[in-house]
Amino acid sequence: MNQYKTTIGIEVHAELKTKSKMFSDSANNYGKMANTCTNVIDLGYPGTLPTINEKAIELALRAALVLHCKINKVMHFDRKNYFYPDNPKNYQITQNRTPIGIDGYVEITINNVPKKIRIHDIHIEEDTCKSIHSNNKSLLDFNRAGVPLVEIVTEADMNSAEEAMAYLEKLRELLLYADVSDCKIEEGSMRCDCNVSVSKTETYGTKIEVKNIGSISNVGVAIDYEKARQISLLEKGQVLKEETRRFDDKTNSTILMRVKETGNDYRYFPEPDIPFIELTDEYIEEVAKNIPMTAEKRREIYLNNGISEVNVKKIIQNRTISDYLNKFINQNLNLVIASNLLLGDITAYINKYEIPLEKTALTDEKFIDIVTCLDTGKINSKIFKEILEDVMEQDLPVEKILENHGVREMSEEELSEIINKVLENNEQSVSDYKKGNERAIKYLMGQIMKETKGNANPNTIVEKLESKLKE
Amino acid sequence: MDKLSKEEVEHVAHLARINLEEEDIERYRIQLKKLIDDIDKIKDIKNYDEEMLITPVTFHSDLRKDEIGSMLDYKEAMKNVPASNGNFVEVPVMINE
Repeated sequence: MNQYKTTIGIEVHAELKTKSKMFSDSANNYGKMANTCTNVIDLGYPGTLPTINEKAIELALRAALVLHCKINKVMHFDRKNYFYPDNPKNYQITQNRTPIGIDGYVEITINNVPKKIRIHDIHIEEDTCKSIHSNNKSLLDFNRAGVPLVEIVTEADMNSAEEAMAYLEKLRELLLYADVSDCKIEEGSMRCDCNVSVSKTETYGTKIEVKNIGSISNVGVAIDYEKARQISLLEKGQVLKEETRRFDDKTNSTILMRVKETGNDYRYFPEPDIPFIELTDEYIEEVAKNIPMTAEKRREIYLNNGISEVNVKKIIQNRTISDYLNKFINQNLNLVIASNLLLGDITAYINKYEIPLEKTALTDEKFIDIVTCLDTGKINSKIFKEILEDVMEQDLPVEKILENHGVREMSEEELSEIINKVLENNEQSVSDYKKGNERAIKYLMGQIMKETKGNANPNTIVEKLESKLKE
Repeated sequence: MDKLSKEEVEHVAHLARINLEEEDIERYRIQLKKLIDDIDKIKDIKNYDEEMLITPVTFHSDLRKDEIGSMLDYKEAMKNVPASNGNFVEVPVMINE
């Protein structure tokens, strides 16, 4: 049974982050009461005409660019015709002949081995209404009808559930960081359909499409299930038919759906209500320039700044933290300390009080001051923990907060006095050090730190201590 | 061939979601064939330009700013709906369970 090769192609629909819909100005708003975000265009009233959402074109172009696609500079829309209750016009406006982007790729890495998953095309289309099926009825919500989408179609380049999941994770990261889509699979703003086939020869087997998969990990489950199901049927000598199945997350299996039209049955023809759209080189350049920094680039910068791989991963998973940290790149700030603070105490504070970072009293100046204080040793992490709540809640400069907590830099005299006292009380260690026992200085250092209660800069202490021991 | 096959007519009827009686099918086998032949005549036009013409206008599309405009209120949107269920439009079930 092992000689079967699995071949997988994936279609992803991602909703674009716009305020209004693709071809109408009603609201693109998730979570509103059903059928309250519609207008005559979304409902397919006779005599209505579509208009094109400028932002949707920009976001789709961004997506095409981050997927390394060639751009169709003169493009149009097509009508995909079918009778189905999810679309009252009886056609969906999509792009068939001139998708905005073609021939791109996404690079995935599994066990340090890179692999390019080729993108056949990325095209713009309108979403259908949302349908819920229960008790022999289907219930429709047209709030989703007309929401702008990009559909991203790969070549059949994946051969395992692991590769499929890696592709989806990477694609999601690309779209998320380019601000194209919020890619919330659970809310349906990113949806995956997988085409799975198995074959013992070089010729592809019969393609089975699996729809309705609600998470990236379930894509893996669905693919493994389909692979096993198809192999078992073939082994029984059965012939597979091309069909569409849906994933059922209660049973972790796939179920046959009623067959909709395919291929020529859609009778695509150019949408006559929308003239050609031209994307000039200047426009494409402008859009490319405004794409936010990719996760890939961020990773590179963070690693180059000495942040650990574990922390880099954590930062990338949290876009807010990554954006915050990025404000301080090239500012001569210790990014290791900065990232530790953000991922550690600051995240803990945010989670504890459930307030977003931007709603706290933490300003960029305060953040820089704290990182600098920690970097130069003016304060230690214990003191930072003590002042954390005040930093996050009070509109006071860090210096003032430290003063309020009785944390101040010790005068030279005070420090000298403490050092002298410690040296007097630890004659043995002093003599050990003088005999060449380097470790003795650490002990002395610890004693001094204890006496200063963290109010002295460790670098200054070391300097002074060394010079005193040399006397 | 002067008429379509029975299966071809049935396929078109399925796409249009209409039920046909046997005698309808027979009639449409001839009528649809005639229609297709008429459309095929376009190919006989001299200097027929295969290049796609999607619109007679030469100007390009204007793009709309991404701003929310006026929407139908819920009652108005649901006015022509034959059946509703809660806030939803209700239709016969679309998939086989």
